[in-house]
Amino acid sequence: MIWNQLAGNLTQGLILGGVYGMATMGLSLIFGVLRVVNVGHGAFVMVGAFVAFWLFTALGLTPIAAIPAALVVGMALGFLFFYSVMRRLVGAPELTSLLATFAMGIILEEVVKLIFGTEYRGYNWDVGRVDLSVTVLPWAKIYAFLGSVAIAVLLYLWFNKTRAGTAVRSVVEDSEGARVCGVNVGWIYALSFAIGIGLTVASGVLLTMFIPVGINPYMGGPYTLKAFVIAVLGGLASPYGAFFGGLIFGLIENGSYTLFALLPGAEPFALTRFLSFAILLLILLLKPTGLLGAKE
Amino acid sequence: MKGSKYLPIIPVYIGYLVLFLIARGMPGMWQLMAMLVFYCAVGQAFNIFFGMTGYVNFGYVAFLALGVYGMALAIHYFHQFSWLGLGIVIIGLLLAMVMAGLLSLVVGAVALRLGGAYFAIATIGVNEGFRYLIEGAKIWGGSEGIIFSKQMTEAFGREMANRLSTLWADISVLLIAAVAALITLYFIKGKIGYALMALREDEGAAKVMGINVTKYKLIAFVTSALLAGLIGAMAWGLKLTYVFPPEVFDISYTVEAIVIVMLGGAGTLLGPVVGGLLYGLAKYWLTVILPGFQLLIFAPIIIVIVVAFPEGVVGVLKRRVKGTALEPFIL
Repeated sequence: MIWNQLAGNLTQGLILGGVYGMATMGLSLIFGVLRVVNVGHGAFVMVGAFVAFWLFTALGLTPIAAIPAALVVGMALGFLFFYSVMRRLVGAPELTSLLATFAMGIILEEVVKLIFGTEYRGYNWDVGRVDLSVTVLPWAKIYAFLGSVAIAVLLYLWFNKTRAGTAVRSVVEDSEGARVCGVNVGWIYALSFAIGIGLTVASGVLLTMFIPVGINPYMGGPYTLKAFVIAVLGGLASPYGAFFGGLIFGLIENGSYTLFALLPGAEPFALTRFLSFAILLLILLLKPTGLLGAKE
Repeated sequence: MKGSKYLPIIPVYIGYLVLFLIARGMPGMWQLMAMLVFYCAVGQAFNIFFGMTGYVNFGYVAFLALGVYGMALAIHYFHQFSWLGLGIVIIGLLLAMVMAGLLSLVVGAVALRLGGAYFAIATIGVNEGFRYLIEGAKIWGGSEGIIFSKQMTEAFGREMANRLSTLWADISVLLIAAVAALITLYFIKGKIGYALMALREDEGAAKVMGINVTKYKLIAFVTSALLAGLIGAMAWGLKLTYVFPPEVFDISYTVEAIVIVMLGGAGTLLGPVVGGLLYGLAKYWLTVILPGFQLLIFAPIIIVIVVAFPEGVVGVLKRRVKGTALEPFIL
């Protein structure tokens, strides 16, 4: 009985983990290229969730169609934020970019609050479900997982097969060297930042398929924390590390939920959130360069 | 000139004295002055770590919250021993310091060995993590929190409980702020301050010069957390006589602390006081004319300060008074 439950939850965890992984790739990309930690990460996820919600309820578009829209919205936000603020802060003391992204996240939350209010909203995209005997998976979640994998693969191809991707990698290796070789480093920073934000906003669309209670402007906080755990698991600067970190984290989160539910009188959902934090401290204590062996 | 290193404390204490005199002398001003003192105190406590090291502690509110819990638990569990009298408040303050101190030691010992980016990542989870531990494991009242106004009346009697909440809580925040100012000055002028300044400018170089950077960062971090715990215990616990997790762990207190310190001037002695006054007055005014918009107004201000005005008011003032008779007083 308990094993069935665990197997069911782990399956759900793997599916969710893929989406978590994709939701963290943007964070890792931005850190890898610009050495900036996007502390406002969760707010960008929230923007994506509202893009999906709005397109679905106002225009009747499915979340799959909302992904490219969210990517465009996110990249626009990314370019805007980069050229207005971040451009001046690359290479400045860490403190400045931390505060700027933190403040940016708050601005987004408050603007969305002004437009939509703070009550929880939701939509239901029902495209059937599949029974796996240990658990029942809605197709919407499976699509979200496949979408995440597809985006991860596309990002990999873009990095490794295109000129722009190669330029980004060269800046990660050695920004001075890249500049000498004629790479427009400023543009690469802007592009990477915009793509990173774009990916994060797009991930918000996918995550709405996993939120039973609905979305609201302050939903991002837990995702910031989760993304940090996942990014550190994956080595912080590597988008692919982040993807696999996401899979691991999804398994841990859902597996531990099953175990916490066995504790009498505990609230398993809240405890999984505490666990994210405990894992984070543990990794920082034992292996801050990430479980997947990235070098800092 | 011996003792001249304590001159910069004078403008700070004059500021606090003026606030106190206005509160005592002008009817109806007590609450506003108490709020201003609270923000000055929070700014000073936050500045001791953030201002001096340049590390951002996004989980700062967790230490305030643990302070509130310290006071709440002391009154909740010890109120039947009324022979302890005001000793219960002392126990509350000790508990507040022990809990905030322990959490900061654990988080600091792990995260301060690493660079600023990792530290920020670790701390942003502290308040969420701790809040969900309390709610999830249902300790200390779980998600319902603790209301202890009744226990306070039982422990101290109605009149004394009332005086504690409406008078002594505010006055002790003023005292904590005054102590925080002394500690700040002692740090800035002493070995700790030089070590922190060196690592803020260039941590790698400071390490190579043989400075135990982790040790000094940890000293500043724990000091800042202890003061936060005391402020939480007094300004929230004893004053409001309840604790409710979503409110005491609210991230906006961290935002406020950042705005206050950046506005006034990070790493300066007078900065958090100037920042606290400016912020407190602005917030008071905004809640009257634009209620609910304070975060939307203060978040862009953080960005503007960071990009265009990183020295803050006192940073600029310090440059202006250089070479004048005022120089020894502004730090």
